[in-house]
Amino acid sequence: MHDNVTGRPRLHPRLASLGLAGAVIGELMLAGRVTLDLAPGRDRLYVTARDAAGDPLAQSVLDHLVAEPHHPLITWLHFFARTIYADVTAVMIAAKLLNPPSRHLLKQQPATPVNTNTAAWPLARLNLAAERRTPPAVRDCVLIGLFVATGGAERALREHDPAFAAAAIAVLPAPLRRLIAQTEVAVGEAVISRR
Amino acid sequence: MSLTEQRPGAVSAALAKDRLGVPSVVFFVISAAAPLMVVAGSVPTAYTVTGVIGVPFAFLMLGAIFTLFAVGYVTMARYVVNAGAFYAYAAQGLGRTQGVATAWVALLAYNALQLGLYGIIGSAAEPLLLDWFGASPPWWVIALVAWALTGLLGLLRVDVNGKILSVLLVSEIAVVLVFDLGDLFHAAPSGVSFEGFNPGALFVPGVGAALATVVAGFAGIESSVVFAEESKDRDRTVPVATYVGIAIIALLYAVSAWAQTVPAGPDGIVKAASEQGTELIFNQAAAHMGSAVSTIGSVLFVTSSMACMIAFHNTTARYIFALGRENVLPPVFGRTSARTAAPMAGSVLQTALGLIVIVVYAAFDLDPVTKLFFTFGAFGGLGLLTLLTVTSISVIVFFARNPTGETAWRTRVAPALAAVALCVIIGMTLINFDTVLGVAPDSVIRWILPGIFPVAIALGVAWARVLKATRPEVYANIGLGAHAAGGGAR
Repeated sequence: MHDNVTGRPRLHPRLASLGLAGAVIGELMLAGRVTLDLAPGRDRLYVTARDAAGDPLAQSVLDHLVAEPHHPLITWLHFFARTIYADVTAVMIAAKLLNPPSRHLLKQQPATPVNTNTAAWPLARLNLAAERRTPPAVRDCVLIGLFVATGGAERALREHDPAFAAAAIAVLPAPLRRLIAQTEVAVGEAVISRR
Repeated sequence: MSLTEQRPGAVSAALAKDRLGVPSVVFFVISAAAPLMVVAGSVPTAYTVTGVIGVPFAFLMLGAIFTLFAVGYVTMARYVVNAGAFYAYAAQGLGRTQGVATAWVALLAYNALQLGLYGIIGSAAEPLLLDWFGASPPWWVIALVAWALTGLLGLLRVDVNGKILSVLLVSEIAVVLVFDLGDLFHAAPSGVSFEGFNPGALFVPGVGAALATVVAGFAGIESSVVFAEESKDRDRTVPVATYVGIAIIALLYAVSAWAQTVPAGPDGIVKAASEQGTELIFNQAAAHMGSAVSTIGSVLFVTSSMACMIAFHNTTARYIFALGRENVLPPVFGRTSARTAAPMAGSVLQTALGLIVIVVYAAFDLDPVTKLFFTFGAFGGLGLLTLLTVTSISVIVFFARNPTGETAWRTRVAPALAAVALCVIIGMTLINFDTVLGVAPDSVIRWILPGIFPVAIALGVAWARVLKATRPEVYANIGLGAHAAGGGAR
């Protein structure tokens, strides 16, 4: 959701953070570490494996979930959204995917991608899938869902087709669909909120 | 240790840091009610248009009715999703069909209140421009500047910053109080009269028109429950802030409306208000305390009107957004501006309506203060009264259907008393609507304008029926606002 050359954000930081929070929880779901209690009125996240295979950010998310299992999904989205943007940026800088942000003339510049092609690849994959009408991989379906939920789909995808996006989301398992829906709720709340 | 044990943990603590306490919520609530704008704009206009001396008593009386209303309102707010919106109460109390009808009334009322403000900004800024530059453009030029600014800030999702807001608000209240003191020390030769607080001075022909304006002065107070999700203590912060807000507003407005009558005397206030309009209190202040104090007041009058305009613009845009999310309005209204997180389509719609109103009023050369600000304000006030009544009834029905441990006073008695009192006020307003509009008692327009509300209700009911028949999944989510996207389960 950032320009692949300048690193400038295309999405409001608050919405991007909620989307990132959804993405991190979504990754843990895809990796089989976390699942969601779908019973009506529950919406609780359950940790099924406590070990995040060496990823410190995922590990800290897991540790939080283990420590306080009684919070509903939407509370977790709001909670992780507070810090996740900075955390993910730091992880990507450490992994040499982003250059550290520089200061020019007192103005903080955004972190820029080390390799423009690597940065552009996920979005290009989604665009290709949308153009060729091929069903994307599960991981990309989650990404499309989160783009739609944060309102970024129109800005990011070359030709955003709501029907294609809906079809991509529909193939996902129920917990991931629920995650996307709750991200959309959190985004709606952020828009309505006065602060 | 059980898995579901509730204990304050890192998550709650971290999220609580961003939460609001009572003072912050009170600030938000009162600033939406824009004290100086009401005292300098609404009150003299009410004296002018209605000729009723009892405006101060009307503020006290409506303060009491709003308090009664708030008892049930804040109680139900703990149990409903999307508590910021009146239609959510109707949908979750009375039924989804009634919810849609209420939503349409709310859209009309908030739109009217917001659009009416374009009529006051011109007369707020004119004296200052005359003072500084010796000339002033016509009111609609000033209104268009304010319109452009509001529209732009709405799209950029700039809410007036909380700190700036509190500074403005405290200065406004200070200026109003200083003006009041100045008035009191310069009483009319006949002495200080308390006629304004005499109920007999209110219940005269024209009382309904005065009440409708006074109600519009309270608009914004209902927004306190919006902060339920963001407040430190859901069960305490919002109720306390609501009562404190109502008390401050009612007392401040009542005392200020009365203080305005002191220098001219109860017999002279209507004449003085008609001649000087919105400049009345600033002229009084200039005479009593010098032009510097008066100019500070005038500047704050402009900023107060602007802040109020932005607040109502954003409130309305968010209302439209919530309805778009539920698919009650076309889904395009539920879309977010990705870059600014603003409720984009709702904001643009508001801005477009503003332009139409300003252009029409300028083209037909209608008076912006009495015909735009006052008429739209009273029309919005009437809508607000309807919303409050429906909400009170919803509270009673909701608790009858969903028994809780709440007391009968909160769930039945207070809402019932509020509903009866509100109905009486609506009746009085309708009887006097010719005075509001300044037309002959037998004019048709006095029934057409209030008649828009029943039409909106009928269309809302019809639309809800259509949704129920054709898109039951949309119908099931009515009243949930942003939570409609999640299927409502929380």
